[in-house]
Amino acid sequence: MTAAQKDVVVCKNVWKIFGDRADEAMAAVRAENLSKAEVLDRFGCVVGVRDVSISVGEGEIFCIMGLSGSGKSTLVRHINRLIEPTSGDILINGTNVGDLGPEALREMRADKIGMVFQNMSLLPHRTVRDNIAFSLELRNVDAFTRTQLADKVIDLVSLQGYGDRYPAQLSGGMQQRVGLARAMAADPDILLMDEPFSALDPLIRRGLQDEFLELSRTMKKTTLFITHDLDEAIRMGNRIAIMKDGEIVQIGTPEEIVTEPADQYVSDFVAGISKLKLVFAHTVMQPVAAYETAGKTVPPVADCPTANPEDDLDTLVGLVVDQSNPIVIQDAGQTVGVVTKDALLHAIKGEG
Amino acid sequence: MTTPTETPFAEFAETNGAYYADVFLKIQKSALGRFHINTAALFGSFIWAALRANWTLFLIGFVIDLIALVNLSLYFKYAGAAIENADKEFLVNRYETWAQGHIISALVVFVLGRLLFGWLADRLYVKQYSKWRIDRATPSGFSLSRLGMAGLIVLLIVPLMLYRSSQFAPDERSCIRQDRAIAAGEEVPFKAKFDCFMIGEFPTLIWIDRPDKVTYPRDDNGERTVLRTPAREGAPPVTLSTFVADKIDNGIGYLTVFYGVFFDGITVFLRVMLNAISAVFVGTPWMIAMGVLTFAAYAAAGTRIAVFVGVSLFYLAIFGFWQAAMDTLSLVAAASIICVVAGLPLGIWVGKSERGRAIFTPVLDVMQTIPSFVYLLPAIAFFSIGKPPGILATVIFAMPPMVRLTALGLQQVPETTKEAALAFGANPRQLLTKVELPLAMPSIMAGINQVVMMSLSMVVIAALIGAGGMGYIVTEALENTETGRGILAGAGIALLAMMIDKVVQRASNKT
Ligand SMILES: Nc1ncnc2c1ncn2[C@@H]1O[C@H](COP(=O)(O)OP(=O)(O)OP(=O)(O)O)[C@@H](O)[C@H]1O
Ligand SMILES: [Mg+2]
Repeated sequence: MTAAQKDVVVCKNVWKIFGDRADEAMAAVRAENLSKAEVLDRFGCVVGVRDVSISVGEGEIFCIMGLSGSGKSTLVRHINRLIEPTSGDILINGTNVGDLGPEALREMRADKIGMVFQNMSLLPHRTVRDNIAFSLELRNVDAFTRTQLADKVIDLVSLQGYGDRYPAQLSGGMQQRVGLARAMAADPDILLMDEPFSALDPLIRRGLQDEFLELSRTMKKTTLFITHDLDEAIRMGNRIAIMKDGEIVQIGTPEEIVTEPADQYVSDFVAGISKLKLVFAHTVMQPVAAYETAGKTVPPVADCPTANPEDDLDTLVGLVVDQSNPIVIQDAGQTVGVVTKDALLHAIKGEG
Repeated sequence: MTTPTETPFAEFAETNGAYYADVFLKIQKSALGRFHINTAALFGSFIWAALRANWTLFLIGFVIDLIALVNLSLYFKYAGAAIENADKEFLVNRYETWAQGHIISALVVFVLGRLLFGWLADRLYVKQYSKWRIDRATPSGFSLSRLGMAGLIVLLIVPLMLYRSSQFAPDERSCIRQDRAIAAGEEVPFKAKFDCFMIGEFPTLIWIDRPDKVTYPRDDNGERTVLRTPAREGAPPVTLSTFVADKIDNGIGYLTVFYGVFFDGITVFLRVMLNAISAVFVGTPWMIAMGVLTFAAYAAAGTRIAVFVGVSLFYLAIFGFWQAAMDTLSLVAAASIICVVAGLPLGIWVGKSERGRAIFTPVLDVMQTIPSFVYLLPAIAFFSIGKPPGILATVIFAMPPMVRLTALGLQQVPETTKEAALAFGANPRQLLTKVELPLAMPSIMAGINQVVMMSLSMVVIAALIGAGGMGYIVTEALENTETGRGILAGAGIALLAMMIDKVVQRASNKT
């Protein structure tokens, strides 16, 4: 992420409280900083989203993760205003979504935002092609163009030959792909994906993740990707936001989340995660000076395995096997640091 | 080792604890004899139940004995009447038959009832024990003090019941006469007054002065006017029912006289529509109509049903019901079309708007509970007789399922599906036409099927107000006791119904 990138989706202090006495509850929360449980107890209202501020840059895949009920779906539904915030603003390309009139809102939903639903929500009475072309049909695109565009997206998600089937005739994974295709048919700038792969077996999921990464690299979509699976978040996300009880507890790159969990909740999430692909040489290496003050000397570079600072632990492990000398990290021909076997093992265990 | 008397069973039953401990234990072990009878209950009946504070059993036992007692009293009444009227042979015969019937009933009810009671007693009494285990405030044990309560109930009910069954009830007319006599200041014996009040029809409590008679004659300019003629001096008062009915008649009269144009307009519309439809069914030579209908059935529902339709039509034709059947079909078509065209938007409104639901749910509930021929009354009142009021009554009768099932279909569309459509930018109209209605289609189709079937049944009944068709043949057959012809026509109606049902159902399943 470069700092110059422009923010496409911005949420500013978004709150959502469900229930008849939401406004009352909101005021009380502001005044007394009540917890989710206290609000439920006193007002019978559920705090869905609690003071969330995020900004997602152009072309970024921003993962939102958290346990069931932590408010992920609620948060993304605010972005195309399927839900009105109790307080706070949502900006898309600088436009406040809350200020749009009904017509402008429909236009924005149809042109700018595609959404994949947690439960797919395909229309059972329409064929796969008509499902995919649905958003185009809503915008009165003629049938011929519609079919052409839809067929193109069908190719994209590798559903060739299934255009004339009904959703019920497809497997769950294929339906997920139809959902994905439907979201992309109108070529939106923003994709909201609510656990799009959660109902799939690991193999199909893996395949779809790769397909999607491939697609999003080529098509440059700004994506908000919800998942409750950290592995998936790490694979997909440029950045990850971790939610708990409606609040965001940490935002960061996968490496930051894994190496510097903000609190116990995040550490528990991260505990089972393999660091091999997430942690890089530059974080675990010891500068040569520090290494030598400990009384050791770096053996001649020719006798040592060498690596780049950007290589991950997995690569380092491969290098160090059957070697007695430490790995020398070289950047542009210069030796910048040393990684010993011990340092590597500590890093893998997450004690770096 | 606890003896039975120390168990909670015995604590509950108190008197005779050992017996109940034994019985309850057997019940809990499912080891009670199939014909086990509680002797105390068999002889004590409701008195036993009262002593044990089991008021359910008390009621059962009391009602059994009361029925037996009333039958006994009726026996004495008719046996006495037979002796009194010994000179009239036909009366003697009748009374003796009745008397015999009642004495047999009395014995059978008493013996079988008591046996049933004895059999039920322990089986229900154990339930009271279970309740008592949970809540010790449940009455238990055996107490003479409860006899007071039981005695009071018996004293309140038994004498009146016996009196009622031993007397010949006065008829309503003589009671009204008697009421008038009392109003006129005559002396009436107490027994007559009591009989009218207690043992006849519910007494007329409210008398109202006879209201003005209202007519709507034309004045000199030919304009209608309202003319009130006061009731003649000294005319007897009327009952509440007569009074209110009279007011309703006046209201209907007023509407038909002064807003006749409106009703005439509707009549004309219905007639024009019906004529257009009849032109197809009735105006076509039978051969062509039969062929077209069979082919239509084939196109809509396939070969098997087309064969069925062809055979049914042939049946109708060969027994001479062709014209009548086509008349009926025209009426059904006209009524169904109106029901669907009017019911669909109404159903959408009810399904989508909170207010629509609040207004129409109770209305529909009431409409569906009213017996069908009651709908003939308003139709006659406003539109007189003939086919148009027949269609109108049919429409009112057959519309509710259309509204209800359309609304139901819309409400069953999953919230998430609607949300998805909105997320892709659907406007309310697109949401309705592209998502909600298609998803509600099976329910709407079921509604249409019901509308057609209910229309058919109502159109047959509407023959009573001159709608004609197959129903007319049946009513005619009823009047002239032409049973055979009535049965043939009835079978024809059944075939029509099956035909329509099968075709509509198949056709709707296809979509
Ligand atoms: N329409 C609603 N009315 C009331 N409460 C709601 C509503 N929608 C969501 N909630 C509440 O808001 C909270 C967050 O729900 P949300 O659906 O956003 O969770 P989630 O993180 O998406 O969970 P999952 O992983 O199970 O999908 C929950 O406590 C839920 O009960
Ligand atoms: Mg969710």
